[in-house]
Amino acid sequence: MKLELKNISKNFHGVKALQNVDFQLQENSIHALLGENGAGKSTLVKILCGVYQPDSGIINLNNKQQSIPDPSASLSLGISAIHQESVMFDELSVTENVFIGNHITKSNGLVDWGLMQDKTNQLLKDLEANIEPNEKIKDLSIAQRHIVQISRSLIHDADIVIMDEPTASLSQKEINELYTIIRNLKKQNKSIIFISHKLDEVIEVCDEFTVLRDGELIKSDTIQNTNKDQLITYMAGREVNQIFPKNNVTIENEIFEVRNLFKKTQFKDINFNLRKKEILGFYGLVGSGRTEIMKSIFGITKLDEGEILFKDQKILIRKPSDAIDQGIVYLSEERQQLGMTGLMSVKDNINMAVMDRNSNFYVMNKLKEIKNSSAMQEKLNIKVSYWSQLTQSLSGGNQQKTVIAKWLSTKPEVLILDEPTKGIDVRSKSAVHEFMGELVEEGMSIMMISSELPEILGMCDRVVVMYKGLIKDILNVKEASSEQIVKLASGES
Amino acid sequence: MKKILLNRDFILFSIILIILIAVGFANPLFITPKSISDVLTDTSILIILALSQMIVILIRAIDLSVASNLALSGMLISLLSTVHPELPVYYFIALSCVIGTTLGVLNGISIAILKVPFIVTTLGTLSIYRGLIYFVSDGKQVYSNEFSEDFLALIHFKFLSLSFLFWLAVVVFIIIYVLLNHTRFGRNLYSLGGNPDAAKYIGVNENKYIIMAYSLSGFFAGLCGYLWVARYSVASTQIAIGFELTVISACVVGGISVMGGVGTVLGCVLGALLIGLIRNALPAVDISQFWQLAISGAIILLAIIINTKTEQRKEKTIMVEN
Repeated sequence: MKLELKNISKNFHGVKALQNVDFQLQENSIHALLGENGAGKSTLVKILCGVYQPDSGIINLNNKQQSIPDPSASLSLGISAIHQESVMFDELSVTENVFIGNHITKSNGLVDWGLMQDKTNQLLKDLEANIEPNEKIKDLSIAQRHIVQISRSLIHDADIVIMDEPTASLSQKEINELYTIIRNLKKQNKSIIFISHKLDEVIEVCDEFTVLRDGELIKSDTIQNTNKDQLITYMAGREVNQIFPKNNVTIENEIFEVRNLFKKTQFKDINFNLRKKEILGFYGLVGSGRTEIMKSIFGITKLDEGEILFKDQKILIRKPSDAIDQGIVYLSEERQQLGMTGLMSVKDNINMAVMDRNSNFYVMNKLKEIKNSSAMQEKLNIKVSYWSQLTQSLSGGNQQKTVIAKWLSTKPEVLILDEPTKGIDVRSKSAVHEFMGELVEEGMSIMMISSELPEILGMCDRVVVMYKGLIKDILNVKEASSEQIVKLASGES
Repeated sequence: MKKILLNRDFILFSIILIILIAVGFANPLFITPKSISDVLTDTSILIILALSQMIVILIRAIDLSVASNLALSGMLISLLSTVHPELPVYYFIALSCVIGTTLGVLNGISIAILKVPFIVTTLGTLSIYRGLIYFVSDGKQVYSNEFSEDFLALIHFKFLSLSFLFWLAVVVFIIIYVLLNHTRFGRNLYSLGGNPDAAKYIGVNENKYIIMAYSLSGFFAGLCGYLWVARYSVASTQIAIGFELTVISACVVGGISVMGGVGTVLGCVLGALLIGLIRNALPAVDISQFWQLAISGAIILLAIIINTKTEQRKEKTIMVEN
């Protein structure tokens, strides 16, 4: 046994993130850690990385009890994590990123750049990666960054490598290359914890699996003893088709259309339309140009060419307020940076986009503001402890609802949602979905960017599939298979 | 080749050359070896302080108290030298560095341990250190005739007809270059400034580095305290007042990003040289004194715009072909 966790529990302000979880990692094995968002996977990983301390439980490494008080302790115990979110240094070279925190020094105490360069070169050659050691990280693709991170863990002589959704934004070709590297790691006697939402890939690559749900251990076994449907049932704890409220609305006439949108180096030949009461999904890899298109439509960035039609009228959107005046709003993916002001109250956030409508001759009408915000709070079920509570102290789900309330206050006709349920717990997620259904019933039209295929399949009427800045196809969701969509999105067909 | 042309340091170097040539046409006397050597001497203190400020800016902070620190260290050793003129000059230099370092450590402790934001801390110590000068000197000046000969001699030492100050700046340049590029300490400064969260993951102790960076900044402020009073043979409550802004502009012109983690040692020196050049060149081409400050500000701004525009971060490319 390489690593054994026994009875691990962790609470955050009374929320049970992990409850008496056991986890066993065999030597020389690729172990899948599965579960929906919020199931406790990342908490478990952070405990192994020394970022969080468990409230109770034991960690045995190589049959010896260990504590992991901080990240550097985790590294020196031979645990290395390849994170989804970047822990790289964009402005520094590949060599330096590989050796960061572990620079080789000469006998005179100075850093030995030559030796580090050679070692990096050798390492990258062994991994069959085509990367120059001198390049800066900011110039690398996401797949190449993963490889640099893997090289880093090899330099640290890690024998447990944790990979958090390493394939999330890679093309099929890059994914296959990564699989080869992972199998090579296994041959070198490393144990790998592999986190992924793609179950086909889990079955292909992994030897064992552990499923968590709501912070509890559900099942741990070898991959041979299971199949995809069973894994889904373990993860969801219910039949899959019940997750999304299907909305049965009659879709009406076309309301919004774009023709030949083009922006240099970002996207081209973008043509699609949106009908009243429709939910149009946008699926593709992270970085396929979906967000860039929406930002251009909303007037945040400039289009190079193309026209936008709204209710059969050509419209010109130069800045976001033009779009808002037309009744088109965009809800950003990065809600904390772009969607809300954490140090303002929920009420002020909700009213932020409609100040002109709530004021008389530039003087705010407090009564109108309070009316609007309390109506929105009730409608969206935003839970606040007191009326002036700061938005940053709310949970992720309630923050998301606050941002939605802000935009709904403008009474839009077209709502653009960019990853609306990214990183929020399952319950808030289904609340957002339910709410989207209600909005459509009330006559709104929605465009939704999502990287979660089940969400696209469950919520949308049609889906636009994108790959590297191009629309590969627009499919009717009822007739499309998930395999077909995934293939299109990875540029294979 | 294109890479070299778009290199920030190269652009900065070109701007310096262009200004030098332009001023040379207007006033040929300005580009004689003697005059250039004077400009270099005049800029040396700025170079040293810009290099030490760079260390602080690299970790996303700023040290506004350098000029006050310089002035206080300079005043304290000047006062001591009037009482004990028999002490050797090295004693005063060492003492000045010790005082400067101590003041720097105080900044670091306030920021790292007491968690007072760096801008508040150094804005506070800017006033405190300056205020202490009035306290220790009673508001009086130390005049050139009160210093011992020994105290002032070192500064007039010349090698290859270049001044002691210039050579000292060269030595500091080499030390800081090696420190930032060839030691773990230096590389960790870059990683801490580039991505503080990730730096913690690899075990960089942020507090330690903050205190170290401010100590170094203080050390060099102390060193420049001696250099300043010896060079101008006067110590008053007003010396180097507002100089911290010149130092910070030199860093910014030199391409040291105030967002942290980006910038080269050579760029920093070139930034200081550009500012030193402008300050010396404007009087040489007969520009009215009333205009000099505004014009030098405009040139600095222009240099930064040219420099950043040419190396503006490329937009993320999604489509390969277009």
